[in-house]
Amino acid sequence: MSPEATSRATPDDVPVRTEGSAPEGPVGDRPVSPQRAKTLRLLLLVEAGLFVAAAIWGLTFQLTINGTDIPEADYQAVAQVLARDAQPGDVVLLYPWWTERARLYLPEGTPVVGYLGSDTDDLSEHPRIWLLAAPDLPKSDLPGFLRGFQRSRAPLAIDGQTGAKRFGKLSLALYRNDRARPVLWSAVDNLDHARVYLEHPDGQHETCRFAGGLFRCPHNLTVGAGWHELFYQPRRCLFMHAPGGPDRLVAEFDDVPAAPTLRVSAGIVWEHAWKHGKGLTPYDVTVGEPGQTVLGRLRVPVGREGLLQEDLAFGKGADGSPARTVSVSVQSDRFEERDGCVELTALGGGS
Amino acid sequence: MRDLERSRAPLRMDVWIALAIFVGTVALLWATESTQGFPRDESFYFYAASHFASWFQLLLHAPAQALSDAAITRAFDYNHEHPMLAKELFGLSYLTFAQTLHWLRPATAFRLPAFALAATIPAVLHLYGSTLYSRRAGLFAALCFYAVPRHFFNAQIACFDIPIAAAWLLVVYLFWRAMTDRRMWLWCGLAFGLAVAVKHNAWFLPFALAPFSLARGLVLTRAKPVARSWVWAFVGVYVAFAVLMALVVLGFGPQAFLVRFELLSPQSLLIFGLWVGLGWTLQKLRAQDTKAFRALAPLGAITVLGPAVFYLHWPYLWYHPVDRTAWYLAFHAEHVNYAWTYLGTVLREPPFPLFYVFVVTALTLPVSLLVPMTTGLFALGARTALGFTRRFATWRPSSGELLVGMNALASILIISHPDVPHFGGVKHWIASICFLALLGGEAVDRACTAVTDALRRRSAPRPSTGRLEGAAVGVGMFALLITPAALATAHVHPYGTADYGELAGGIPGAATLGMQRQFWSNNVSGVLPWINDHAPPGARIWLHEVTDLAFRDYQRNGMLRADLQPAGGPEDAQLAAYQYHQEFREQEMRIWQAFGTRKPSYGLYLDETPQIVVYQRR
Repeated sequence: MSPEATSRATPDDVPVRTEGSAPEGPVGDRPVSPQRAKTLRLLLLVEAGLFVAAAIWGLTFQLTINGTDIPEADYQAVAQVLARDAQPGDVVLLYPWWTERARLYLPEGTPVVGYLGSDTDDLSEHPRIWLLAAPDLPKSDLPGFLRGFQRSRAPLAIDGQTGAKRFGKLSLALYRNDRARPVLWSAVDNLDHARVYLEHPDGQHETCRFAGGLFRCPHNLTVGAGWHELFYQPRRCLFMHAPGGPDRLVAEFDDVPAAPTLRVSAGIVWEHAWKHGKGLTPYDVTVGEPGQTVLGRLRVPVGREGLLQEDLAFGKGADGSPARTVSVSVQSDRFEERDGCVELTALGGGS
Repeated sequence: MRDLERSRAPLRMDVWIALAIFVGTVALLWATESTQGFPRDESFYFYAASHFASWFQLLLHAPAQALSDAAITRAFDYNHEHPMLAKELFGLSYLTFAQTLHWLRPATAFRLPAFALAATIPAVLHLYGSTLYSRRAGLFAALCFYAVPRHFFNAQIACFDIPIAAAWLLVVYLFWRAMTDRRMWLWCGLAFGLAVAVKHNAWFLPFALAPFSLARGLVLTRAKPVARSWVWAFVGVYVAFAVLMALVVLGFGPQAFLVRFELLSPQSLLIFGLWVGLGWTLQKLRAQDTKAFRALAPLGAITVLGPAVFYLHWPYLWYHPVDRTAWYLAFHAEHVNYAWTYLGTVLREPPFPLFYVFVVTALTLPVSLLVPMTTGLFALGARTALGFTRRFATWRPSSGELLVGMNALASILIISHPDVPHFGGVKHWIASICFLALLGGEAVDRACTAVTDALRRRSAPRPSTGRLEGAAVGVGMFALLITPAALATAHVHPYGTADYGELAGGIPGAATLGMQRQFWSNNVSGVLPWINDHAPPGARIWLHEVTDLAFRDYQRNGMLRADLQPAGGPEDAQLAAYQYHQEFREQEMRIWQAFGTRKPSYGLYLDETPQIVVYQRR
């Protein structure tokens, strides 16, 4: 759009062009006023300046992006600290959540958490959190993240130094997690001592056989403890597919210790959770004492992703015994897509 | 001096430049192809192309048998959701260069025609841009196109997204040429036939071209009532066809319409009538006004040659044209939705976000190319809008420029419809980017002119140095704008589906934004050397998302050890390679469960983002 160009451009008249001539532009046969020509020239120079600015931005970015790779030595240095100082029950939280390359290097004994949504995870099973951050990555906003993360969490010292410690391009900080609740008992860890059966509406039971680390039930149903995805979050839970109809799949546990809270959590795993439609029905979880009271119920609606949880009051037994028998059962009117996962934990008081 | 109203043929020098660009592009794609993994779809197309190669051999040795319905169905039934042109070329190349001459490994032989089809894009961009705008604009459009990492990736595989973009561009270019140049309407029709033989996207093309044909035809016959009446007659033939066909559909009902669609049926008669009617009205129009004829003839050619070439190129249709075409169209009309991660949400079903295509385009194009393309499009829009005012009437763009603008938006707007499946990164609207590249070329050209003018004003150089100054500004601007994109392409190659531009913060920035990490499974090529070094002899390997065909292709092409066995899942595997997708997280947990560990052994991490994570059974 050179202001000097005098070629015409109308819908039906493509401009005359010679080899090497200036490009056509929005300047017609009429003479252009000097003011307008000046404005146009300025606009075009602004446009050229915009291109140069974009190019410099692009060039700078591309020349520095290789430098964002985190050297293996940085991970190794962090791994050494964790191997030395991490305690049972500790967890490593990644920031940004997707920086999972760390898992290649960190000691296997300390769980590493990083999933879409982990920024707001209470990590309530872990009294201490190692926050491993890569603050120099593009779009990384560690101060913004810390504003939410540090609520009910207090920094602890690493090597006698409180606050984040740099390991090259990584930063490591240790926190006391005041959102944690001590886990006194969990169904996942006690499944092999459980009684698992299919319960019909008339009260009849069909016992499930324990083999190969899981219970095998009629109609190809299984109950096993394993890792599953609940709205991108990895959870180790009891996989309990609802049998469909009025039947219930039941897992019964003896010697559940009395605790301030009995927490029941449940969700539909993976993409089955998202699915919705007329053919699907809610997934109902009931916690109770066999043949006695119902302690609580949890319903996972159709189309609901993620883990739902309910905290139940759970003191000593009616006879004052410090341990009780508890059952957890699942039911859904329709069998389809009800791939449910359940957690049952007895929790101590908060810190 | 050339009059573009008389001929839009490129200058000889520009033809040579286009040829050099074509050869250079093929050479570049070929030279860098060997590390490229095999996307899921490519493994299907390799297989389909090899079926075609077998059929072609049968055709040479036993033609009567090859032409039987049974032999054709056997050869072409596989992957009949896509027409055959590209696959025929892949298959012929494989037959020639791998099976017969043993010059190339199978994958390269299959891909060779894809390189050639891909190379037509920058070549045509240069021809188009240099004629419509300037040589500098054409050259920029051509050179910037494959500097885009995702374009470069798509150009290197034997799939259809780049071929259909090339065909779309070629049809529009020939359509534009046909407005002035003799017989070009026929080539335009033929090119459209080839386009629909590549992929179904091309069926939308007539809707992007028809308004231009009709508007030009009406404007040119403004003072010629007889010619104008033939323009309306031409339109009337289409309207009559549409009305009568609709009546037949209503009369028969949709099912019976298909069942009764035979050679001698009202439906066939109507199609034949349409073709004859178009030919007759065009003949009459030609006698009245050659220019108006040239405006409408491409549409006529498209209407006749499109379906004809589509039918003839695809033996699968020869015995069952109606039901198989109906199945094909229905397949794409009801295409399934694949899960796709976008700004932290996994999109699984419509309605999809309205601005998805615009956002993804902005986040994936290198910023140094995105900016000129955007200002080019906005300048065209502004000139169009201002052109309606009396004061700025002379700013109104030419129909050629509007045609480019329309096609720059066509694919983008089609895919933007909230009910159209959204997956596959940018590959489904690359045709639009071809035209955005032209607009970007024009924008860069005018910026270069403005800078050159400003320099001249300041220094008032001798006339002899003016041209040199212009060239220097051009070279400098080209280098500045294209280098960042080329660096990005080199940086991410061969993992183009994972690429994001500067606006997204590159690959790590996009991960934080919650964008799709990768797709199509080809990034697994990054961990194959490690697997070859560490897998026990005869080990069972689970390559998540990699098709069995692709597994075999990696072995056939020497990228994966031949003794390794594909496993059906982590439960029966010794080694597993998980593709990091948000929608597949459960699969990684299956591996943890089956292997008894959550600690990976190896992985492909691009700028720290996990792409492929490898586990070994404990």
